[in-house]
Amino acid sequence: MNALRRPVRAFFAALEGLFDRIFGPEQNPLAHLGALGFFFYWIVVATGVHLYIGFDTSVAGAYDSVEHLSRSPWFLAGVSRSLHRYASDALVVVMFVHILREFGLDRCRGVRWFSWVVGMPIIVFVYASGISGYWLVWDRLAQYVAIASTEWLDWLPIFGEPIARNFLTRGSLDDRFFTLLVFLHIAVPLILVFVLWIHLQRISRPDINPPKRLAAGTAAMLLGLSLVYPATSQGPADLGTVTSIVRPDWFYLPLYPLVDFLSAGSVWAIVAGATLVMLAIPWLPPLRRPPAAVVTLDLCNGCGRCAEDCPYSAISMAPRSDGKPFEVEAVVDPDLCVSCGICVGACPTSTPFRSDPKLPTAIDVPEPALHALRDATREASRRCVGDRRILVFGCLHSAAALQPESADTAVVPLPCVGMLPPSFIDYVLSRDLADGVFLAGCADSSSYNRLGPRWTRARLAGERDPRLRQRVPRDRLAAAWLAPRDRKRLAAEIDAFRARLPKRAPASSARPALVAEREPAQ
Amino acid sequence: MTLIEWRDSFKTGIESVDFEHAELVALINRLYDRLGAASGRREAVAAFLGELHDGIAAHFALEEKLMRKHRYAGLPEHKDDHEKLLDEIRDIMEEHERGVFDDASDRLAERLDIWFSRHFNTFDRRLHEAVSGG
Amino acid sequence: MSARLLQWAGQAAAYAGFAAFVGYFSSAPAYTHLDPAMALVKVSFSHGAPRQAACRERSAEELAKLPPTMRRKMDCPRVRPTVSLELLVDGIPLIAESLPPSGLSKDGPSRIYRTIPVTAGTHTLTARLRDTIRDDGEWDYERTITAELAPAQNFVVDFRADAGGFLFR
Repeated sequence: MNALRRPVRAFFAALEGLFDRIFGPEQNPLAHLGALGFFFYWIVVATGVHLYIGFDTSVAGAYDSVEHLSRSPWFLAGVSRSLHRYASDALVVVMFVHILREFGLDRCRGVRWFSWVVGMPIIVFVYASGISGYWLVWDRLAQYVAIASTEWLDWLPIFGEPIARNFLTRGSLDDRFFTLLVFLHIAVPLILVFVLWIHLQRISRPDINPPKRLAAGTAAMLLGLSLVYPATSQGPADLGTVTSIVRPDWFYLPLYPLVDFLSAGSVWAIVAGATLVMLAIPWLPPLRRPPAAVVTLDLCNGCGRCAEDCPYSAISMAPRSDGKPFEVEAVVDPDLCVSCGICVGACPTSTPFRSDPKLPTAIDVPEPALHALRDATREASRRCVGDRRILVFGCLHSAAALQPESADTAVVPLPCVGMLPPSFIDYVLSRDLADGVFLAGCADSSSYNRLGPRWTRARLAGERDPRLRQRVPRDRLAAAWLAPRDRKRLAAEIDAFRARLPKRAPASSARPALVAEREPAQ
Repeated sequence: MTLIEWRDSFKTGIESVDFEHAELVALINRLYDRLGAASGRREAVAAFLGELHDGIAAHFALEEKLMRKHRYAGLPEHKDDHEKLLDEIRDIMEEHERGVFDDASDRLAERLDIWFSRHFNTFDRRLHEAVSGG
Repeated sequence: MSARLLQWAGQAAAYAGFAAFVGYFSSAPAYTHLDPAMALVKVSFSHGAPRQAACRERSAEELAKLPPTMRRKMDCPRVRPTVSLELLVDGIPLIAESLPPSGLSKDGPSRIYRTIPVTAGTHTLTARLRDTIRDDGEWDYERTITAELAPAQNFVVDFRADAGGFLFR
């Protein structure tokens, strides 16, 4: 599986790097593919409503009504029609790129199977919507689509009468059946919205609106395309003839030529096979599932910061069960928890200044537990020498994953940078465990656990609880948000940080360490 | 021997807040006890201060959540004072590490008393008045 | 300043490229579904062959064995015979098949939906159907037509027993 994933990830890394330079990291379209999908969907719906006003739902009148809409006045409904088509096409492109990217970023496996699996019916509904839309124009392309679709569906033994018979000759297609198709084209997109809602269920604060400049840019692009190359129909349908030369919309209709080339049964096999493979992906090896976060009720007072910060809606605040006079307690749903540890970083009891070697905290992730994090921090400090020692707290999914250590630089790996309680930074600097602390997390556009970098930045800036104490010297703290492709840039930033580290005042270096940090804790 | 005597007037009227206040007062008093004892080792005191810092951080988080929930108008100022208090307790911890309070345990006790009581008698009192319908 | 300009140019190029990609593939390249010089003969009908098996009278014991609601004197088998179909174009048999009845109890109609590309031009089409069991090899329905098939024409061979047999459209 990884053999498949790595080239995909590398491809996106290269493309995202290029787009970062062109669009800027915040407006990078590859960081907002899902949101763009939603945006295009709304354009399709709006233009669809506009077109439906003038659409004649009878077999005889459909084609002419679409022609009329397209031409007079052209600058209104005609543009809508082209927008309707091109936004739908763009939707398909963005959808598949989104699927490929999430696969490449490994964000579909283990607990995150839900979003992936619910996404499969989205593909089906998008295609059903698009194909039924082409049907409604009732031009020669529609005729081809109708006959090819029904002939393909007739391969399944579910219909008594072959439904292709509805298109047998002139006059075979009656208004009743055509109205059924119109109904489908309205009902399926509605169901699609519902499935999209489910798709987002286990993701807190989903990104469903693209940033304004990107939205404006893509809207302008679609509008420009609609004006320059308006969508046209391909001549009225005539069931007495066959559409010999077809000009299909290859985004929605690529399977039809395949049916001609192979057979209806083969294409069913291909579709079924592809579906099964896609559905299996969340569970294909290598599958490692770290244990979920655990709440220690004795220490939890129900402040709710963990639930606020969890990117997967895995924590909820439930009524108290231990009789303490607190209103609520945190409850982790292990089926939704990916063990990123952001909750540990959010919890106010995750402070390292206590002497208890077990370092209990109200919510903890078993791998690595908070005491293990403190031990690793002390260990890493021991590995550094010199007067410009830097401790790098690095996310395993970011550029820091492969950051090499050196005489004066040690790396403490984390499943997510959001796992680091800000008090740890205070701890390292005030106990002289390092001269500088560097946080290395994912780039926002490809952050593995979605909200880690965002929360961390806010905590450091004093905008989100738990805040980094004001007394912590900011000139001894730096952060970088970089994807694995930017390893070299991370190394450069750490070097630059080291170069600008202020020298330690001589008095502090003579300071007696209280709890001898360089010996095992009691 | 207690540094801070628990009084009923300490009650804010919010059960969880009062519960934590009582716990924190008990912790401070235990620490004060330790200071008084001849064997008040620096490490033990540091451990207590660490526990105090931990407990107060959690307590402030809960208080802030409750203030948000009750749409308490004085939340911004009260939260600012919380942040200041956390800075102060860290200052006290560091001074203790540097040995400022060696042979001066009554100065540490005084610092802690002021640290707790000032906030309590001002901000928490106002919160109590606001919550109990004042 | 020029960095900004390069960014704008890059974005314009990216948007234009995407628009061109979408615009082109939304209706091109064309695909030849049927050679333009060919016509299509479509044979499709749904016909239930009449049941021929004789009805049998049930004996008193058999009736007693059946549940009270199902005690019918006459036991008529529901199975329909297989339909045989032949289609000849210019004397060449393009279809020569047996169409079994559909349904689990084999009592539904026999159905066919077949498309055969045929070169355009004048052809003689003969359609034959047998829906009874007979040993003389004769056909129950037969019809011949000489038709001028235009390119891309959809020529349908339908069958309706109540309309007299084969219908050419």
